Amino acid sequence: MGDSELGWAATLHRLWTAVAAITARDQLAELVLPPLLGEPGVLGVWGLRHDPRGHTSAYRWAGLPLEADDEKTAEALAEAAPQEIPESLAKRGVRHAISLSVEVPGKSGGTMMALTDDTADLERVRACLAQVVDVAREAIHRLEGRRDEEAQQIRDALLAEASLQMDAVLDTKQTLRRVARMAVPAIAEGCLVYTCDNDTLSLSSAVHVDMRRLDAALNHAETTDGLGRLARCAVAGRAKRMHVEAPFQAGTRTLHPEVLRARGRVLGVLLFLFDRGDERIPPADFLRDLAYRAALAIDNGQLYEQRRRDVMTMQQHLLPARLPVAKGLHMAANYAVGDRVTEVGGDFYDVVARSDGTVAALIGDVCGRGPEAAALTGMARHTLSTLLQEGVSPGRALGRLNSGLRRDGSWRFVTTGVAMLRPGPSEVSVRWLSAGHPAPIVVRRERPAEAGRGGGIPLGVVAKPSIGRSQLQLAPGDTLLMFTDGLTESRDAGGVMFEHRELWNTLDRLRDAPVEELVREVSSASAAFGGGGGDDIAVLAIRARGHHDG
Amino acid sequence: MADTDPDFVLVVEDSEEDVEAIGRAIGRSHPNVRLEFLRSGADVLPRLNQPDTVLPGLVLLDLNMPGEGGLQVIQRVRAEPALPHLTLVVFTSSEDQTEADACYAAGADSYIYKPINFALFRTVLTQTLDYWRARS
Repeated sequence: MGDSELGWAATLHRLWTAVAAITARDQLAELVLPPLLGEPGVLGVWGLRHDPRGHTSAYRWAGLPLEADDEKTAEALAEAAPQEIPESLAKRGVRHAISLSVEVPGKSGGTMMALTDDTADLERVRACLAQVVDVAREAIHRLEGRRDEEAQQIRDALLAEASLQMDAVLDTKQTLRRVARMAVPAIAEGCLVYTCDNDTLSLSSAVHVDMRRLDAALNHAETTDGLGRLARCAVAGRAKRMHVEAPFQAGTRTLHPEVLRARGRVLGVLLFLFDRGDERIPPADFLRDLAYRAALAIDNGQLYEQRRRDVMTMQQHLLPARLPVAKGLHMAANYAVGDRVTEVGGDFYDVVARSDGTVAALIGDVCGRGPEAAALTGMARHTLSTLLQEGVSPGRALGRLNSGLRRDGSWRFVTTGVAMLRPGPSEVSVRWLSAGHPAPIVVRRERPAEAGRGGGIPLGVVAKPSIGRSQLQLAPGDTLLMFTDGLTESRDAGGVMFEHRELWNTLDRLRDAPVEELVREVSSASAAFGGGGGDDIAVLAIRARGHHDG
Repeated sequence: MADTDPDFVLVVEDSEEDVEAIGRAIGRSHPNVRLEFLRSGADVLPRLNQPDTVLPGLVLLDLNMPGEGGLQVIQRVRAEPALPHLTLVVFTSSEDQTEADACYAAGADSYIYKPINFALFRTVLTQTLDYWRARS
């Protein structure tokens, strides 16, 4: 007895020492099941692992094998001490079964049982088994604690990475697709995304670790109807996490809907699909947090889009609805709002046909953005176009605008260019007046495009305006291109400006294009060159008609 | 038909950092899994068609590689009559949905996002391997 006690004490000591090194439940079984086989009369030691709902999720053994046919017997032994040993075990020499529960509060526990013949000291085996159960309980407690900690780290990392992903896009469906992709398979086997349009929920995307399996499941109307019903119930507050007793075709055992709601508005539903055991399903709070962040990202994206639409609408109101028709001239204009712009810009243009047969084309740029810049933009355009329409000389019109800006005390200045075009019998003569505005370009029909002259000082800066003046001639088919600096100053990733690389090739390519296409394409080329992060671009093109143009 | 070893995972990945991270992640989560790395998509079919070879339980494929990319590998593997049941998992940081659709259309089994955070990276690989090993 003394030697045996010493041996068992040494075994127990080894078990307790090994507890700290265990990293997986399977290692635990390998550690705690075999030692009892050293006790006289012990034929086998079986271990059952239970999930939180009490179902057995794993069967392990040492000694007498626990075959598939024995699983029900083992579960029965775990439930209650038998009146008599089942025949299947009796045939293999088992005469007694001692079963003890390994309970760990709030965690998945298990059952250990020792199967003995008639020679075993049952009291001693029971005592030894109880001591091993203590070791197992401590090991499970540590394992579960470590797993909870790791799971928390994973959830934190997922939230951080999902937030990064969501910040990178503004489109609702793309945001949701990214969330679903992030979640699968890190926290769920699948994720269905329902979006809400006009109070109707519809499945907009689906992600699963095994897409073929999910697609097959979603091909069954009964399944899709059931999932859709669950999503709608979740919106109505009548559905939470549910277990599926008969898994549908995608193998899903648990469904968890989370409503995407921001500022009281339902944007959709995320429906998580789990094949895994309950202990590996993230807590509801975490899934709610993920859905909340997604909803917030979508809401922000929608607000941004709304603001962009408002800006574009306001910008249109600051520009002429249409350009006049003038004999001998083709005209077209294009205004492109910068991609990331959320405030009204200060670019403007207009064309007026004067009673003396000249056509006055003006373009300008109020520095800055926002409501104040927009108000000045409207004022500048209307002042200039009204004065020019009434026959006031362009120099005097620019002087009046300069006085108005100085009188209002605004710190903002305005660059402006005015082209006075007079169609003649063979050519169109152009008088160009510039108050600090980028020089226009003449796109020649027969030869390379060439830059005009700028000059002058922006209006609103000094009391006496300084105006640059120059003369240009447009032969039939030549085009006067007036623009704001957003066109020429867009920069590529290396900081090179559009003006210094692509502008001239683009204009050569578009030389024979209709003016409507010219203004549209040159704007697009500049925006693309700048990678979409540029300023607003206003372009006004006026082409001298050729004799064959009619 | 060649035998399949569920404990053998073939990784096709050109990035040095990702090769190291995949090796470290799967080495910790599945110490019994044998990993073999190919650095180019063009090496996949010759490797799978070696005489008397044992096929992997799963092929983990990067999408964007110089030369033959993941999508072309999927197309070529699926066109091979001797490899009908090979599990092909695309593991990529690409966010382009059209690429995901193209991979599924070509016959990929999974299209998995490659996270930046290593703990998440390891979890994604663990769950993917657990899922497909349980199905094999």
